[in-house]
Amino acid sequence: MARGGEPVSSYVVRFSKKQRAEHLIVLTLFTTLAVTGFPQKFYETHWAAVVVNAIGGLDRVRFLHRMAGLLFSVATIFHIVLITFLALARKTGMTMVPTLRDFQDAIQQIRWYLGLAEAPAKFDRYDYRQKFEYWGMLIGSLVMVVTGLILYLPLLFTRFFPGELIPVAQVAHSNEGLMAFLVVITWHIYNAHLSPDVFPFDTCIFTGRISEERMHHEHPLELARLTGAPEEGSGVHGPASGGTAPPA
Amino acid sequence: MIRRFSAPLAAALLLAALTLRGADAAKDEVDTCLACHEDKSLEKKLPNGESRSLFVDRAVFEKSVHGAKLGCTGCHPGYQEMPHPERGAKDLASFTASFRETCKSCHFANYTKALDSVHFAALSKGNTVAPFCADCHGAHDVARPNEPRTRISDTCSTCHSAEAEAYSKSVHGKTLAATNSPDVPVCTDCHKSHAIADPRGQTWRMKSPETCGGCHTDPVKMGRYGLSAKVYTSYLTDFHGRSASLIAGQKKQAERIVAVCVDCHGVHDIARVKDAGSKVLQKNLQATCAKCHPGAPPNFPAAWLSHYEPSPRKAPLVWATALFYRILIPVMIGGLVLQVILHLWRVVVNR
Repeated sequence: MARGGEPVSSYVVRFSKKQRAEHLIVLTLFTTLAVTGFPQKFYETHWAAVVVNAIGGLDRVRFLHRMAGLLFSVATIFHIVLITFLALARKTGMTMVPTLRDFQDAIQQIRWYLGLAEAPAKFDRYDYRQKFEYWGMLIGSLVMVVTGLILYLPLLFTRFFPGELIPVAQVAHSNEGLMAFLVVITWHIYNAHLSPDVFPFDTCIFTGRISEERMHHEHPLELARLTGAPEEGSGVHGPASGGTAPPA
Repeated sequence: MIRRFSAPLAAALLLAALTLRGADAAKDEVDTCLACHEDKSLEKKLPNGESRSLFVDRAVFEKSVHGAKLGCTGCHPGYQEMPHPERGAKDLASFTASFRETCKSCHFANYTKALDSVHFAALSKGNTVAPFCADCHGAHDVARPNEPRTRISDTCSTCHSAEAEAYSKSVHGKTLAATNSPDVPVCTDCHKSHAIADPRGQTWRMKSPETCGGCHTDPVKMGRYGLSAKVYTSYLTDFHGRSASLIAGQKKQAERIVAVCVDCHGVHDIARVKDAGSKVLQKNLQATCAKCHPGAPPNFPAAWLSHYEPSPRKAPLVWATALFYRILIPVMIGGLVLQVILHLWRVVVNR
């Protein structure tokens, strides 16, 4: 089996340039927000002081956090507006929408892990894990954007809403951020780097290309749709049909 | 320069004093010196026209803490000689300054601490009214500085009258006057007595949680007055306290000011939280917040949980949000890690 980073002669273009760019933007902003956010959450630790000093003081840490947060908000809102528009205009497939089949897939996959099913589930463009991560990321981003803006503009917010919502926003922002970070370093790093299927690095989201062999292995139903022949076919080029959503 | 002075008589008396030994030596020395210095008109004329009285009141000196133990030359070494050593002072200020090291030989620790004080810094810059040992403790009338405790603020009020006035009306000052209790802070509990730091800078301001926390984290002491001992920790977990902790750990001076205890509660004029004039009383809070957050709307103060820890009764929404994540995060991460382990296990089994 061809691994994530190896050159392949036969490939499918899985992600458009826009999707790849979105992933890079989110990757950069997420890292910036984590580096400038966690010292504020774990204020009593030694490493928090080290990070704050390395960046050049709390004022600069907060400035960077807020600027990155604003850019992240713009990216999130842009993404939501765009997919809503595309979905309404029927210009995108509903490949990221969770279906009953995803729940069945999850059960079958876990049964297979446990040795209770003969074969793993067969997936279409996005498997249940990728959908879970995408929707988790989207909902989590909305929580972060809303609570982050409340914390950024408390004077404006309390003109219209009760003050107690500010510490609520603070607790939610802090915990949601921690959860997002933990999901990324366990689940996402495993699926994109450490999993034996892709080790050491799944380059697909950066190059846009995925080997036909991996498609066959990981997204057989999509491959079948693209080629018109069940689990057969070769030499498929050009963007795969599907959503504008970034992959999980 | 010293008027009405009989050198032969003084010399004879000094000689007599020095030949005596034993427990009475100090007293005899005092007798010898007072033979001249009990004269109320005895004074030192300085070259610039200023003068300093050299009169010593025997009763006052004998009542002082040193009176029973020290003679005169303990603090005025070399003065058994006649004529007395010339100090070479041009004016009163430098004459006084020439006695500054007097206390050092016995009170070395406090003397060196005082060298680090804002008072000594002022003296070194030429401020002639800045105090050193004798200005606060007195000279021939040295008494225990904290008996009674109100004496401490009285001493400081000699120069710092506005602060002392505000303090006397504060919850601390009023309680001290009523109870004379050692629980109640006087000037020196917050400012220290010898190593008094400059209270005007950011360093001192940022130390205020620690300063106040010294007493306000003590559950026994706070319990006696029905006060919470958790105000320090609840401050630290809030936005202001977190910022203060991070600023304290950074090398660069912070540009933005972060609220510490005194910014909301006041400094010398700290009032009981429930007093009508308290800056932190519900109805006054909006104005207090607005000092740093101009235009704070009426809802704004509720963003601060008033030192309460979130609970189902106080700030139930905050409490519920925290609980939600305390359950969600372990379930979420645990579930994902479990799937990773199952996947790896399947890969191994299939090989």
